[in-house]
Amino acid sequence: MELIVISSVWCPSCLIMHPRYVELSQKYHLTLTNYDYDTDASIISKYHVGDILPVCIIVKDEEIERIIGEKSMKELNKIIESLM
Amino acid sequence: MVYLDYSATTPVNKEVLESFDRASLDYIGNPNSLHKLGLDAKKIIDSATKQLKELLHLHNEEIIYTSGASEANNLALKGVCFKYANRGKKIITTELEHSSIYGPLSFLQRHGFTVSFVNLDEKGRVDLKHLESLIDDETLLVTISTVNSETGIVQQVDEIAKLVSKYPKCFFHTDITQAVGKYPLPQNFFEKVDFASFSAHKFYGLKGIGCLIKKESISIEPLIHGGKSTSLYRSGTPTTALIVSVSKALRLALDNIDQKYAYVKQLNTKIKDALSKYADVSINSNEYSIPHIFNLSVLKIKPETMLHALEEDDIYISTQSACSSNNTKSRAVYAVTNNEEASLHSLRISLSYLTTKEEIDTFLASFDKWYHKLNLR
Repeated sequence: MELIVISSVWCPSCLIMHPRYVELSQKYHLTLTNYDYDTDASIISKYHVGDILPVCIIVKDEEIERIIGEKSMKELNKIIESLM
Repeated sequence: MVYLDYSATTPVNKEVLESFDRASLDYIGNPNSLHKLGLDAKKIIDSATKQLKELLHLHNEEIIYTSGASEANNLALKGVCFKYANRGKKIITTELEHSSIYGPLSFLQRHGFTVSFVNLDEKGRVDLKHLESLIDDETLLVTISTVNSETGIVQQVDEIAKLVSKYPKCFFHTDITQAVGKYPLPQNFFEKVDFASFSAHKFYGLKGIGCLIKKESISIEPLIHGGKSTSLYRSGTPTTALIVSVSKALRLALDNIDQKYAYVKQLNTKIKDALSKYADVSINSNEYSIPHIFNLSVLKIKPETMLHALEEDDIYISTQSACSSNNTKSRAVYAVTNNEEASLHSLRISLSYLTTKEEIDTFLASFDKWYHKLNLR
């Protein structure tokens, strides 16, 4: 399972969520790929990301879940455990 | 044209432009050159710097000239964090900062620093008790802007500085971009903070110059390494004419500042009285806001729709701060309204002493027209 996180440097929610996604990926041994909303625009266009950041796309062969905005560690753990 | 976006940028003062032109033509030497032309250029820079220091009541502070507030913010944050990383890796900020604060914080986060957000109270000001609980011996930096660019809310810099000073290893940086030249900062303002950043184009100066004010006793890691300049901490040939222009712009901005402030307050009251009457308008600026910034939400009309409608009448306002132009909710507005709708529909009208009462009448008439027209759709 892979986490693809799309965030931006101007977004405080992205600052808040970054360490949580790092922790999540380490805890569950998930591959974490980070993309920047502005500089990686051409790469991320296929994900059709809206205006609220960060977006975490959980991929297992294909997209199986999408987390948008701020979530607590508890909520993130719950989502991942439900997908495992 | 009615320009009501002075917090995004201001038109350059003609006298400032003339100073820039004169300095560009008269002082052609590189201030680092040893010959007379170089020494003349250095002399005029020193004299402009002396004037800036007097205007800002600086005594033990150094002025580092940068390309603008964004560079000054980057220099302060990265400069201090890389220099003193061994002291601690915790940074405290708010959800009300400019993207040129969040950008370096994201960068620092990826280099092992942690970023914590201090809560705001119901008036959009820092919750000092929460700040007290967050700050500890591991905290290296607190960065909180003096005036929020969207709502104009002024933070309690004195109290924050007092808290930070209890931790001698911790530094306090404040972005004063929306404060300088709008109201007189207390004479001892810079004694209380370690770093302050601003840019000249917010007070009728030219774009392309800003300053980082830094306590002389603190050294930082430069962002730009290279040739000699006016500071050890920012290399590059000193921009003589721009430095002269920033000093001139600030002197002119501070001339009669109390009268200018009182006049802008009158304009603000006029707008507030008129817009308070609309059922679907939420006024988001409050008693702690500077009068130059008036933030409102028109709840049933998309902010960009209202912005472009007013533009059809040659009236220019803004949605969130120009540097975070995507269409998400405004955290600053959410902090004071606790209302999702208001935070998604915010507009900023920013005023100047140059704004006329007739321009406000024109704006209010156009606002009324579009409010009814767009609400009927």
